[in-house]
Amino acid sequence: MAEGWDRARVVALAPDAASLRAAQSLASGGSWPLTGAGDGDAVWGECQGSAATPYRTAVDLSGPAYRCSCPSRKFPCKHALALLLMWSGDGIANHAAAPDWAASWLAARAAKAGDATEPKPAADPAAALQRAQQREARVAAGLAELDRWLCDQVRQGLAASQRSGYRHWDEIAARMVDAQAPGLAERLRALAAVPHSGPGWEGRLLEEYALLRLLATAYRGQQALSPELRDTIRSRIGFTVRQADVLASATPVRDHWHVLARRDLDQDRISTRRVWLRGARTGRFALVLSFAAVGESLDNSLTVGTETDADLAFYPGAVPLRALVATRYDTVEADAPPGAAISGLLAEYATALGQDPWLDTWPALLEVTPARAPFPCVSDAAGDALPLHPGTAGCWPLFALSGGRPVTVAGEWTPRGLRPLTAWAPGGIVVRL
Amino acid sequence: MSEPKGRGAAWTEERRRSDEGRRHLKGAPAANGNGWPDLVTVSLIGTERSPVPPAAIPGVPTPDPASPGRDPAAVLLDRAAVLTAARRAGWRPARAEPPPVCEPDPRPVVSPAASRRLARMLGGEYPDLLAEWLAAVAARGLRPPWRLLPALLDRARGRSADSHLARLVAEAGGPRVRWLAGLNPDWGFVLAEALTGDEAWRLGIASQRRAYLTELRARDPGAARELIAGGWAAVGPDERVMFVHVMADGLSLADEPLLETALDDGAASVRTRAAEVLAALPGSGLSQRMAERARRWLQMDEGPRGPRLVFVPPAEPDAAMRRDGLTPSRAQRAAQPADQTGLLLETLARTPLRTWTRRFGLTAADIVTVFAGDRAPWFFIGWSRAAFSQRDQEWMAALINRALTGRPPATAALAELSRLIRRADPRLGAPGVLPDPGREAPSALRYEIGALRFRYEMLKELAHDHGDG
Repeated sequence: MAEGWDRARVVALAPDAASLRAAQSLASGGSWPLTGAGDGDAVWGECQGSAATPYRTAVDLSGPAYRCSCPSRKFPCKHALALLLMWSGDGIANHAAAPDWAASWLAARAAKAGDATEPKPAADPAAALQRAQQREARVAAGLAELDRWLCDQVRQGLAASQRSGYRHWDEIAARMVDAQAPGLAERLRALAAVPHSGPGWEGRLLEEYALLRLLATAYRGQQALSPELRDTIRSRIGFTVRQADVLASATPVRDHWHVLARRDLDQDRISTRRVWLRGARTGRFALVLSFAAVGESLDNSLTVGTETDADLAFYPGAVPLRALVATRYDTVEADAPPGAAISGLLAEYATALGQDPWLDTWPALLEVTPARAPFPCVSDAAGDALPLHPGTAGCWPLFALSGGRPVTVAGEWTPRGLRPLTAWAPGGIVVRL
Repeated sequence: MSEPKGRGAAWTEERRRSDEGRRHLKGAPAANGNGWPDLVTVSLIGTERSPVPPAAIPGVPTPDPASPGRDPAAVLLDRAAVLTAARRAGWRPARAEPPPVCEPDPRPVVSPAASRRLARMLGGEYPDLLAEWLAAVAARGLRPPWRLLPALLDRARGRSADSHLARLVAEAGGPRVRWLAGLNPDWGFVLAEALTGDEAWRLGIASQRRAYLTELRARDPGAARELIAGGWAAVGPDERVMFVHVMADGLSLADEPLLETALDDGAASVRTRAAEVLAALPGSGLSQRMAERARRWLQMDEGPRGPRLVFVPPAEPDAAMRRDGLTPSRAQRAAQPADQTGLLLETLARTPLRTWTRRFGLTAADIVTVFAGDRAPWFFIGWSRAAFSQRDQEWMAALINRALTGRPPATAALAELSRLIRRADPRLGAPGVLPDPGREAPSALRYEIGALRFRYEMLKELAHDHGDG
């Protein structure tokens, strides 16, 4: 039986600050004609909102999982949050009998979870193994479902996708969450934007669907693959590797790591910081990720433009990029790194794709001149040009810095173009773009 | 999955034809007759309506056992996966037309601290001080950092009415902003502002004429005066006001005859402005006439609580007073104080400030603290106007100090005070020179004092700046 949660635990579930504010005012007002809680496993309530009928909200605390009849796309919605806030503040009577609508949902969830959800002490290796097997089984079932869904899309034609709302992808993404494949869920959710991403969207959607099916196929046949590729596939599906395991198993790579670029992304309620490094001796690229709740500050220990003498531990995979800083020895200011030619970047990326076909972001360190014609791009001494990513096509500071001359640029190469992140002005001055 | 070599013009042509959806050739994933466009087309229609087209990568054996029993949708997705990886791996770079190389700018860049301050201003901190920053940078032969030029250009463009800012951006930004404007038509105003000399005067719009005239006035005040005198009769009242404004800089007695003519102008706005400018001209007839009147009308006598200021003007204004801008009609508008207060304002605003220091034998700081009873706010406003148009730093400092130490300034005085602080010597913003605004000080005043301190720091930064690259 779950114990009551403290308020902080509820607050941490809020998808954003606005939801939390709204939930707080809902929780303090008298807009709940009906509330109740089971024996520490579920909370439910009816909230009288602007609609004629009250919204019906239920939370399965074991997930937690949420259900609400409101139209909000926030997850959890403000009603579920308000319910949890009231419950954590002892504002809801326990041991109540659930109304039919809540009882049936909770029963359905319990049935879905099946006989597999007996909680066991974590220390029990047999139980851990069992849980791992259960997860494999769930992921396998989820991937089979995803595969069917993908084939359905192509069978019926992607043309309909442009008229579908985000819900189209959110639903299948939610099922992947249930199947404990969060990596897939994230990838699917991001697809909702593709049909509105401009000309060529249908090609990009097909690419993504094809790569997702490839992932499902590869997971099914993983026994025939190399351990590295298997690690890649599993990490893309959402199996995580604990930092301690990475540090314990990886051979540290010591180098002077030049901090090339940094990019922060806010997704759902998590900020992700991506920091790209390049080893001066090995020439190897590395990606260090850090996370924080939106509004909290992210890890600042790697400053763009400096060089850190450190041991890096790489996560396992066919193309190991992601790494942890294992031991840090020294950090110094660094000069501009040497930029490469475009042909070199493309060759590197092609080689990497040969080992990990799902790679859609590759570190770029180039010596290039930005140009506007015939489209926003960068071009190198050999005359080769790469388009700028449509999201950064107006990267005017880069143009201002260049003045028509080559500059060293670090960024991310993607199938849609180059996203410049850092440039080095004359005199080695670092400019974050 | 490596890229097959040896494509030529035929490839380009084929790609133009087949890859619909892409507007132009951005360099592209390899698409050498591999069937990708057909796969996309069928995926759009749906495999239940169309057979799955073949896909092949030239030079690579097809790993595609499309057995008859397989789901066509799955077959399509598998082919698409192979082609996706192949196309990404085989991305072909395009050809660009690099822009011309920008001509060099010999000026050193401002210091990192000044660059950071500019970024702060562009980010919304005291954005109205941008113009002063830019002017100071240009005057010191420095330049802003290149990376911030686009934001500066956007700011100047956002205020199309404020062509002053556009001009400053063009000047401080130098060749690099003109080069950028060549790439981005949104910034074309930088090039338009580059109309120089005679052309700007003869052909330019009002802002360009004003810019030219201001620049000429700074370089050769007499030449500017002659240009104004020559154009006076032909232009409308707005431009005549502008002329008078321009003459306020580099003022000398040689300007007096023209400004005296302006006192008889048909437009009240021209007359008022001319009177203010003449009042600021030491030795001008108007300043002497005003000093003479002021001596008669304004007394300091010994009141029950010490010295006090007493204002006793004549009951009826005469024609000479009217001509000098002392018009009682202004005082009768609803928003204005009663008659005599209006006259007090006008008198103080147009009287040379040294009249008072001489007459009372006191410093400006002493005079502004003399008891003036209910009229104290109007004394404050009148003197603020005078200090503003006469650019008298001693009085400005005295008035600002008074606003910070005495009773909080009246609401009506805040606008005058803001204007004054904006024109005040930024050295007043140095630490310890002025007292900190109290908590009861109006927020507008606190903001202006903050701006004054910001200006001090900003100009100090630029003064010992050694550009470093």
